[in-house]
Parts: sequence; C-alpha cells; structure tokens
Amino acid sequence: MTRHTDDGETEEANGPDEKREGVDGPDEKREDADGSTTGAAPSSPAPGVPEAGRDEQPSIFVPDDGEVPEGTPSERPATDGGVESAAGGSDSADLDPDAYDPVDVFPGGDLDLREGADSCYKCTSCDTSCPVAEVDDEFPGPKFQGPEQWRLKRKDDHDIDESITSCSNCMRCDDACPSSVPLSQMHNEARGQFVESQMEKLSREYIRNRILSNYRFFASIASKVPRLANAATKIPGAMKVGEKLLGIAGDREFPDFATQTFREWWKARGGAQVENPDKRVAYFHGCYSNYNTPEVGKAMVRVYEHFGYEVMVPPQKCSGTPMFANGMLKDARRHAETNVENLVEAIGEGADVIASCTSCSLSLRQEYPELFDIHGIEDVSEHTYEALEYLRINEDLEAELAGTELADEQSFAYHAPCHARNQGLDRQAVETFRDVDGVELEDVGDSCSGISGTYGWKEEKYEKSMEIGAEMFEHMEDAEGDVGMTECPTCAMQMEHGTGYEVEHPLQLLEDAVGA
Amino acid sequence: MDQQVDVVVVGGGSTGCGVVRDLARRGLDAVLVEKGNLTHGTTGRMHGLLHSGGRYAVSDRKSARECIEENMVLRDIAGHCVEETGGLFVKRPEDSEEYFQEKLEGCRACDIPVEVIDGEEARRREPYLARDVEKAIALPDGAVDPFRLCVANAADAREHGARIETHAPVTDVLVEDGAVVGVEVEHETGPGKRVHREPGTTEEIRARHVVNATGAWAGNVGEMAGVDVEVRPSKGVMTVMNTRQVDTVINRCRPKGDADIIVPHETACILGTTDEEVDDPEDYPEEDWEVDLMIETLSELVPALKDARTLRSFWGVRPLYEPPGTGTEDPTDITRDYFLLDHGERDDLPGMTTIVGGKLTTYRMMAESISDHVCEALDHEATCDTAEAPLPGSENPARMDELMNEFGLRSPVARRSGQRLGSRADDVLDEWDPNPVVCECEGVTRAEIQDAIGEAGSDLNAVRLRTRASMGNCQGGFCSHRIAAELAREYPEPVVRDAEDELYQERWKGQRHALWGRQLSQAMLNHLLHATTMNRDGDPATLDAEVDFGAFDAGSEAGSAGSDAAGDSDAGTAATDGGCAADDAAIDGGRAADDAAIDGDREADDAAADGGA
Repeated sequence: MTRHTDDGETEEANGPDEKREGVDGPDEKREDADGSTTGAAPSSPAPGVPEAGRDEQPSIFVPDDGEVPEGTPSERPATDGGVESAAGGSDSADLDPDAYDPVDVFPGGDLDLREGADSCYKCTSCDTSCPVAEVDDEFPGPKFQGPEQWRLKRKDDHDIDESITSCSNCMRCDDACPSSVPLSQMHNEARGQFVESQMEKLSREYIRNRILSNYRFFASIASKVPRLANAATKIPGAMKVGEKLLGIAGDREFPDFATQTFREWWKARGGAQVENPDKRVAYFHGCYSNYNTPEVGKAMVRVYEHFGYEVMVPPQKCSGTPMFANGMLKDARRHAETNVENLVEAIGEGADVIASCTSCSLSLRQEYPELFDIHGIEDVSEHTYEALEYLRINEDLEAELAGTELADEQSFAYHAPCHARNQGLDRQAVETFRDVDGVELEDVGDSCSGISGTYGWKEEKYEKSMEIGAEMFEHMEDAEGDVGMTECPTCAMQMEHGTGYEVEHPLQLLEDAVGA
Repeated sequence: MDQQVDVVVVGGGSTGCGVVRDLARRGLDAVLVEKGNLTHGTTGRMHGLLHSGGRYAVSDRKSARECIEENMVLRDIAGHCVEETGGLFVKRPEDSEEYFQEKLEGCRACDIPVEVIDGEEARRREPYLARDVEKAIALPDGAVDPFRLCVANAADAREHGARIETHAPVTDVLVEDGAVVGVEVEHETGPGKRVHREPGTTEEIRARHVVNATGAWAGNVGEMAGVDVEVRPSKGVMTVMNTRQVDTVINRCRPKGDADIIVPHETACILGTTDEEVDDPEDYPEEDWEVDLMIETLSELVPALKDARTLRSFWGVRPLYEPPGTGTEDPTDITRDYFLLDHGERDDLPGMTTIVGGKLTTYRMMAESISDHVCEALDHEATCDTAEAPLPGSENPARMDELMNEFGLRSPVARRSGQRLGSRADDVLDEWDPNPVVCECEGVTRAEIQDAIGEAGSDLNAVRLRTRASMGNCQGGFCSHRIAAELAREYPEPVVRDAEDELYQERWKGQRHALWGRQLSQAMLNHLLHATTMNRDGDPATLDAEVDFGAFDAGSEAGSAGSDAAGDSDAGTAATDGGCAADDAAIDGGRAADDAAIDGDREADDAAADGGA
C-alpha cells in the first residue's frame, strides 16, 4: 500500500509563491467498492466527477440524521444558495441551470453574491451570534459584511469595506441564520476581493497574514529541525520580537513541533496495516496533526484500523482554512488543486475522506465548492466526513463502547469548535462517551473559544480573542475535569493558553476506550 | 396671508418642479403647489429610465431626438440623480430581424450613439442575460432617480426665491373677468413644511399666470377653470426586485409590447411595464396578473428573475394627450410628445397654460418651453440657463475617501450616501456625530435623515423620497420606527406616531403585490415585530384621549370593561397589517379607495372580535 504513502514532502520546497498549473482530475469512471457509481451528476461527462464547483448552486453542509452516509448527493438540498431553499416552493427546478451564472458578473471572475441578499430578512440572528461583534464595537457584524454589503454592491464598485478583515471566519453566522443566507461565502469572497485589490502587499499586516495563512509552509521547514525550532520560540523575548516585527501576538506560546511528523511515522510503520477494499478511508490529517500533534493522527489510524478500515494517506496540502480567514484565496486555491486531485483519486478507489480537524472537514465540505471551481471539487465535498462522525454513522459505536471501562477515571472539559457546530457535530463527543464508564465529558457551553485559527494570533486582535474566550475559560475551570478536549487544534491552543490545561482530541480518548 | 405672485405652478412632478426652477432662475416670483409630496403623481411612479431615445427611434423620432439631447444635459446638470448604466436592446430568436434593423437605423437617424454586439458580448456585459439572446444594440440609456431630481429642482427654485408648498391641493382656480387670476389651495397642515396635526388653512394665491402641470390630473384642474383638457391616462405596472440582476438597462427589441424593460435602479431592479387606458387616474384596478406578466415575460430576457425576490409593485398613470379629433384607439399608439395648451388662444381664457404629455427625460426641455411661453405672456425678458446650471448637489461628485476617512462611513454606506448627496455630502454629514446608520438596507445615516427632516417636516414619506430610507428589503420593518425616532428630537410624540404609521402604511401598500416567497416571510416578520413586540396593533399610548387604565387593571372581576377600551383604541391606531385607520384614504389622495373599503371591513371585524372577547 505504499502508493498511498507517497511522500508529500517533496512538494514542501514550494513556498506560498509557488505556481502550479491547474489540475484536472482523472476522467475515468469512478466506481464504489460495491460497483455502483458515486456522486454522478446526470449531465457530467465524467461520472462521479461533476464538472463544476463554483458555477453551481453553492452547497452548504447539511447535517443529516446519520442514516444515509452514501445518499445521492444530487438530492441533497443546497441550503445557502438562497434560491432553492427559500423561494417558497417556486419552480426553481424549471430554471435552466445554464441560464445564468454568478461567475464573471464582476470583473476578474469574482463571484456575484448579491442574490444571496434575497434570503435575508434582516432578523439579525447572525449579529447576535457573532463573537467578534460582541467584543468589538468597531466591527459592524456579519449582516453588514454579508447581505447588506453585497446588496449595496454594483458591478462597477470595486471597494470592500476594510472591516471585513476583522471577521474571524468562525462561521457561526452560517449556523445562526434561519434563512440560509450564504454569509460565510459572502465574507470569504469579499475578504478575498479586499485582500486582492485593496490591501497593500508590502504592509506588515499583509505579510503577517500571509505568514499566518501559510502556516504549513513554515511548519514544514521548522519540522526539519523541530528541536531547534522549538528552542528558538522559547528564547526569552523571541515572541516579543515577533510581535514588534510582524504583529504576531507575543503573549501566545508557539506550539511545539513534533520530533517525528505524522507522515514520517506513517512511512516508518510501513503505511496501512489493514487492507480492505470494502472499507477504505483517505485520511486528511491537515497540517497540525502532521507537524504538531501526530498523536491525533496516530489515534485516528489505530482507531480506524481497529474497525477494519484500510487507511490511505494521500499527498495533501493545507485545507485552506487559515487562508480563507485571511482572504488569501489564491493560496487556498493552489492548495485546493492538489488536495482535490489527490482526494478525487482516493474517492475513485472507493474511499471516503476523513478529517480529524473539524475546520479541515468544513473547508473541504463547504468552502471548497462555494469558492472554487475545480474539477471534482463537488465530489470531494460530498465524500468528506469528520473522523468521529464517520464512525458514528457507519459503525455501531454505541455497542462497541457499551460496557467499556477505562482503567483510570478521567474527566474532560469539552469545547465544541464553532466549525464543528456548523457541521452539526457539536454534541457528538459528549454523546459518544456518555456510556463509557470512567469517563466524564462535560460540555463547557456554546461560546466561541475566541482564537478562530489565526485571528487570536494577531497582535491587534489578541485582547479581543481572550475576551471572547473568557466565558469558555471560566466554564472550563468550573468543570470537574482538568483536561480539556476539543476537535480543533487552534481551539486547543486557546484552551491551553487560557487555563493551562492539557488538551486532547476525542480520537485519543476513543483510542483508549476501544483499546486500539 | 393671500399673496400676489408672478406665476403659480400647479403640480410637483418633474414638469412642475422643472418649470418653477426655470421661472425662478429667470427672476420671476413663482410658487409651486402640490397636493401630495413632490413626485406624488406620475413622476414618483415610473421605472426611472433615463431614455437614450432608443425606445422611440422607430415610432417617434422627434421624441427620440429630444431624449438623446436631454439625456446628455441631465448627465451634466444632475449627476447625482443619474447613474450612467448604459442600455441594451436585446433580440431573442423569435424577435423580428427587420425590426432590429429598423431600430438601428432609427437610432442612427436620431444621432443616438449605437453599437451592435453579438449575444456572447452581451452576456459578457450582462451575464444573467438569457443564453439564447442573439444580439443587442448598446446605447446610452441610464437610470435617473425621479425623487432626487424633483427635490433638487425644487431646492434650486427655492434658492432663487420661489416658494414650494406640498400637501396643498388646489381647491379652485380663480377666474375673474374671463381670465385666470390665481388658485385657491388648502394647506392640509398649514403652509410651509408639513407637520402632522397642525391645523389646516386655506389660501388664495393670486398670480399673473397659472401653469397647470398636473399631468394625468390636468383635466381636474382644467375643470375648475371651466376648460376641457382631454388627458387620456394610461396605467402601467412596475415591479421592484430586491437586488440588481442587471447593471445595464435591458430593453426587449421588438415593437411595442408589455413587460419589455428592466431598469437597474439604485439597489434594485425595476421591471416595466404595461400600457392600459384608465378612466380615472385616482382609481383603477391594480391586478395580480399584471405583476405575474412582468416577471414571466421578462424572465425570457433574464431567467434569474423568475426566482428572485420581489419587493413590491406599483402602478403609475401616464399623462397621455392627443389633440382632440386624433382618435387613436390603442394607448400605446398615442404620441409621447408633449403639448402646451394656451388656454387664452384655445379657450379664450387667458392667464393659464396647461402642459400635458411628455416624459421625465425631457422634463427640462418641456419646462424651458413653457417658461418661454410664460415669460412671453408676462412680457418678461430673461434667458434660460437650466441646461447649463448644475442642480444643487450636482456641482461636484462627492469624494469617497473624505466620506470614509473624515466622516467614518463604511465604504458601501459612503458610496450610496455620496451618490445621493453629491456635492452636498460634506455639509449634510458634518452636522451629526455620532452618525449611526438608520436604514441598513439602503445605507442611510442619521445625518441624511435629519437633513431630509429639515426640509420635509414630519412627513416621513418625503424623507423616504429624499434618502431612500425604508426602500430596501425590509420595507420599513426594521427602520420605520428608527426613522420616526429621529423626528422625536423636534416633534411631540403624537406627531411622531402619526408619521411612523403613515410611512409604515405606505410601505405596506406596495408589498401587498409581492406576498409570496421571501417577501411574504419578510412581511410576516415585520408584522409580528410591529404588531406584537412593538404592540402597534392596539397600543393605548397611540390614543389621543386619556388612557383608561381602569380598563386594564380590572381583570376578571370587571366583566365587560375591556370592550370599551378596544373600541377606543381603533380610532387612532394604524393596524400594522395594512388595515388602516379610517382617515388614511384621505391622506392617500384617494388612491386607497379600495383600501379604505377593505380597511373599513377590517375595522368592523376587529371591533367585533374585540368586543366579543
């Protein structure tokens, strides 16, 4: 199975400025393990690989009831395109999908999202659920950033209000909206346009944001010499220099790099230990599990192998989450091209895509098809799951865990990441471990951790980030456990930073519980 | 307070405002009287097209030539009212090639700059155009805001000494010794700015000449003077979409037909229209099929319209006129030209001139020609400069960076405020700090609202026309009370409540024709917020009389006390669902005749329900 252990590191030398040709996914017919074609759009020349991403109705992820993991994707309602869901039973199906196209209304291929404003009733649910608006009086909130700004836009207007850079991209507005306004898509697109055409490319802010967005690039270098890199960030004053020079919050502790990356470990162990053409998953580990917390990746592999899955680890790059949050859409697209190409290939071999980071899974599921038009991107979206979610859908975890008992009693203060909430996954960890003896998982509430990936790393946002996180810190301290738990690596950083707790991933606990 | 002036202009539409501006600039002492707000009649009920003349290039070349000439003038003198969108006449496969060529030749013959583009190029410019559009003629159509245009004309007239009286219907035309010598007007809330609950007065304004610029209503004024003016009012529906599906004016290139134009107007698109003769410009049916026809037919050009959100629909009445004896059957065949009726020559009644026909694009030219005529009649020598002198606000464009940096406006708000206020932006915005956004949909700040209140008194519909506040997708649901609250700095609470009710009712009226899909949801949410959360469907605080607190506190012991309170509360309360208080019909100038009947029933039902409870 070494074909799946291709060392993606060869691509590491490319930095943020790398250039890649557009990549088309393979055109041959894709088949499931059981022989049925998957994800085929009727009109697609390549079954299983729909032609378009960007020019179709954007498809937000809709949490399903867990019953139909392999449902026909084309029947899944798009809930954020505005038109389909909210037209109140009008005959939108009659509309020729080729008849109009939001691409290219604005110059340079920028999306025209004015139509999304049609779904807004101004109810302000988005604003009241926005953690940034709560602490930042200067931030006008998601309703302004999204439907209002877009509605006021015209073809010849090129400027986007600067306040878009204060949106942390936690995407809670998507979850809050009762009317399926494509808020985060509007924000992502507006931010991309702002950064592309209005942000000074030599400014400290731009350079800082570019560095934060391209964490993977710098992590890949640091990982060559992890001990040196770790020591360097702990040199007294090093972070202060970072703050002065680059505007990176000096009060934060830089995460340690693992001495062996996940991929190095995977290669060393000889790749997959289980072969099973009927149960394959392609693991999207993301950057953090690879460079910083390989124990999460290892837990994923062991748990999935315990359940008899063949794990593939395709070459991959950043999911794009930090790039979206900083408007670096070109970087995100370049990475997406690699990811989509490799994931489509794995899907063709019968795999579903599994991420252990909830932001990675959200990005592949929702932001990819909303923002990019890459061959096969819809297919990737349809086949992506979060790791625990996938097991809960496909395995009888309840039976597996019934009666299990952990040797040592453990209590956790669990925080559901905002991006998990958007996928309907905010209760899954608590529900999964409810019946395991010796485990106490306490949900610390529905507040945002405040870090939102790169937001809390910015010097000027640090205080606000901590203010947003205050409620979570307080609830964590009130909770019985003194170990934190969450699916999101940057939420974990914030939890650790605010409370001093160690933080684990649910997969690590699951690994213990099933004895994988 | 009777007054002797040079000229009284009756009618505050584009023609009347243009005439009073022209006369004032020529040094005449002029008064404009309008029965409602400025633009109350036809001007406020059009699709906002600034004609290039292309529409008339086949059927009416004289009008076409005038249009292109005035189109260029308005870009100069009214920059803050005009958006230079450009226009397309698009040809679908079933549309006649012969007509396309005729249109092209007609445009060229009228000196309208044209360019023929293929379907692909047309879709590159307007990507939502239907895939089977074959080709198009591109020409300099534009969008014009009729409200801002009239307000700017009136403002300029006032700066040159004219008096502008709105809510001042003419009740009589004074005729003495076989000549018109003035008009009698009723000031509904007294002269000057309209303030709710001010007592009404009557005034005779004596003038050396009266200009009847009341368009579709010209016959009514003529009748008061004892002359016949046979206007043939023709109604047309316009449907407002929530967003701009197109940023260019889209015309269907075929001979006359209903539903053949889409005009991008400010934040919205306006679909138009129909052409059907009616008997009475005040009272004609507004029918659902007309709205359906707009959306269905225009979806052939822009398929996205079919599923897009509709905000409201409204109807306007064209003041068509043709000389007696022409006998045209179909109103679409009646000329769009304008006619100046000198009643001295025509009816042996000197002292009054009527102007009918015409269109908004050529309003200035019409005003110039009638002003020439009036000056001649009054033996007053002065030259017209309205084609060169910019309107107030259009001297220079607003500077975006200043609005954002100095006044701290968010960029889309700065953009819209800058467009609306033009060169006045600095002065208006400088007055208020803090300056929060009051109407979020249209990006209208407190400063702009206060500026409009300064001009319009407590009339929030007049504030709306000046600012666009409440014209976005919530249709006043989230802002009419905020706008009204801005009045509270200056006016007492009952005035504020009346003003708010009046604005909210006006917003409701147009939405009645868009109650499906998303606008229905919006209307329902608005209703729940206003009726329930804000308690506006029966708030005792809206009563003029003392509140009978006993009616509330008696509880279960008090038997029927509650029914009295309910009976009282109907009097001063506007029901938030559009059922409105009985006096509303009068305020609406009769257009709400149907409403009044419906509302009457409603009130009765409500009263019955309340009484029974």
